[in-house]
Amino acid sequence: MLSISNLSKTYLPDKKEALKGVTLDIEKGEFTALLGQNGAGKTTLINILAGNVLKTEGMVKIGGYSIGSHALETKRIIGIVPQDTGYDFVFSVYEALKKQSGYFGIRHNGEYIDELLESLYLTDKKFSNIRGLSGGMKKRFLIAKALVHRPKILVLDEPTAGVDIEMRHTLYDFLIRLHQSGTTIILTTHYIEEAEKLCDRVVIIDSGRIIADEPKTQLIENFSRKVTVEFQFDFELDSADMAFLNAYNPQIEEKTKLRLRVLKKNLPEVFQLISRRNMEFVDLAIEKPTLEDIYLSIIHR
Amino acid sequence: MEIVFYNKVGFITLLGREIQRFMKVPVQTILGPLISNILYLGIFGGMLRTRQVGIEGVNYLQFLVPGLASMGAIFAAFQNPSFSLISQKFQNTIQDINSYPISNLEKSLAFILGGTFRGVLVGLLTYASTIVFIGFELAHPLLFLISLGATSFLFASFGLIAGLVLDNFERMDFLLSIIITPLAYLGGVFFEISKLPGLLPAIRFINPIYPLVSITRAVYLGIFDGSIYWQIGIAAVMIIGSFLTAVTLFEKGIGIKIR
Repeated sequence: MLSISNLSKTYLPDKKEALKGVTLDIEKGEFTALLGQNGAGKTTLINILAGNVLKTEGMVKIGGYSIGSHALETKRIIGIVPQDTGYDFVFSVYEALKKQSGYFGIRHNGEYIDELLESLYLTDKKFSNIRGLSGGMKKRFLIAKALVHRPKILVLDEPTAGVDIEMRHTLYDFLIRLHQSGTTIILTTHYIEEAEKLCDRVVIIDSGRIIADEPKTQLIENFSRKVTVEFQFDFELDSADMAFLNAYNPQIEEKTKLRLRVLKKNLPEVFQLISRRNMEFVDLAIEKPTLEDIYLSIIHR
Repeated sequence: MEIVFYNKVGFITLLGREIQRFMKVPVQTILGPLISNILYLGIFGGMLRTRQVGIEGVNYLQFLVPGLASMGAIFAAFQNPSFSLISQKFQNTIQDINSYPISNLEKSLAFILGGTFRGVLVGLLTYASTIVFIGFELAHPLLFLISLGATSFLFASFGLIAGLVLDNFERMDFLLSIIITPLAYLGGVFFEISKLPGLLPAIRFINPIYPLVSITRAVYLGIFDGSIYWQIGIAAVMIIGSFLTAVTLFEKGIGIKIR
């Protein structure tokens, strides 16, 4: 569905390298999270897909069409929800969506526009001027705008930034339904829980290079070999007495709580060691790393 | 360069937006220039009404009407695409243009024809407003319309080029004040260039406004001399050249894509 090969971008005139040989293949129906810090190259990559930034080197194909030689065909396949954009304040929501449809050669799609507005909770703003929409409504309007031509791939650049929690969850539900209907989705976000909740593949980009690209479950599994074990005792602990657990980096919290970092295969041994000391615990928690932990550990490697 | 009508509906929608955009604010885009032109006509025409010009049997008021209609068309046609593009840059919506599956030829044509429509409208309304002062004096109505259309097309192309290349309103104002306005004044709108002193008459050979004003005046008055064919030829070359330049700038993404 999307094929990127050895893509590089150097901005002129200061010769800043934003992308350095990025290679990425997105299959039909995938829901991919594109993660990275500010300035990592995510927006440059999206802007190249949108045709706003000219690539320096490499090949990009959308739906089998090259963005260089068949740019117009690629635009019918992809829908982009930009991170930071303005609005044409001359028109109402409905007028703007009708015009957007027209640019894509589509007429008489009023019913579909109504469906989109309903799904994005914008029906009551149909005839309002875009100027009068709140920040969250404007974001939802941008999603509707990117979907009027029923793209096969939807790219969202931080769509929930600045959106309140309730509306964020409404958007998640919308994106899940859209994905289930067969749309391939690429999502960039700073909310890792968003990627964890929605996506089935995680791509991490740093300094213009892809440094991780794996199915979400595998990524979490790979980083879950080591877990955090937390024992709760009903007596106070002394760090000097915990030397027998030094291999597991013991940490005492709130005087009665013991935290250890343990490889999963070593868990039985840890329980045996504690049992031999007759340390009876009253509660136990084993924490797997979250995607956020994994993300932080990867980018800080 | 893609074929002309890759996306006919898209082209018509973009053209419609360019027309709708200025029609939504008619006071600024239509009435303003119209009032200016009527004032020019009232002041200059009123004061110099009986003054004869170099064309036999033509008084100054008759000389002035086609000049003013051309000037109104020139400014309106230039401002429409240039203002549209610069305001999209200002509003940060310029990247939308890159997302449409509309060929660069169609995009260029939509912006230019939008400007042409506004230019012709202002030119015709300027003419219509002069009827009060001078009556229905129009020798060749269809040729007058074509001439206003050609003038507007040329300056809409210039406006598109300016809108792509320039990135703010201050620069566009500078271009209008320092280049377009002096060229209009020295393009035969208000007086005969040949009567200027010294080498100044030679400016007509490098002024794109001069042949267009001359052609519009000729078809308005119905008085043609041998130079009309040269002027038509020069105008045609300028129209083709400016249009191709505008399309090429769109193709290269100048002003709308980041390099």
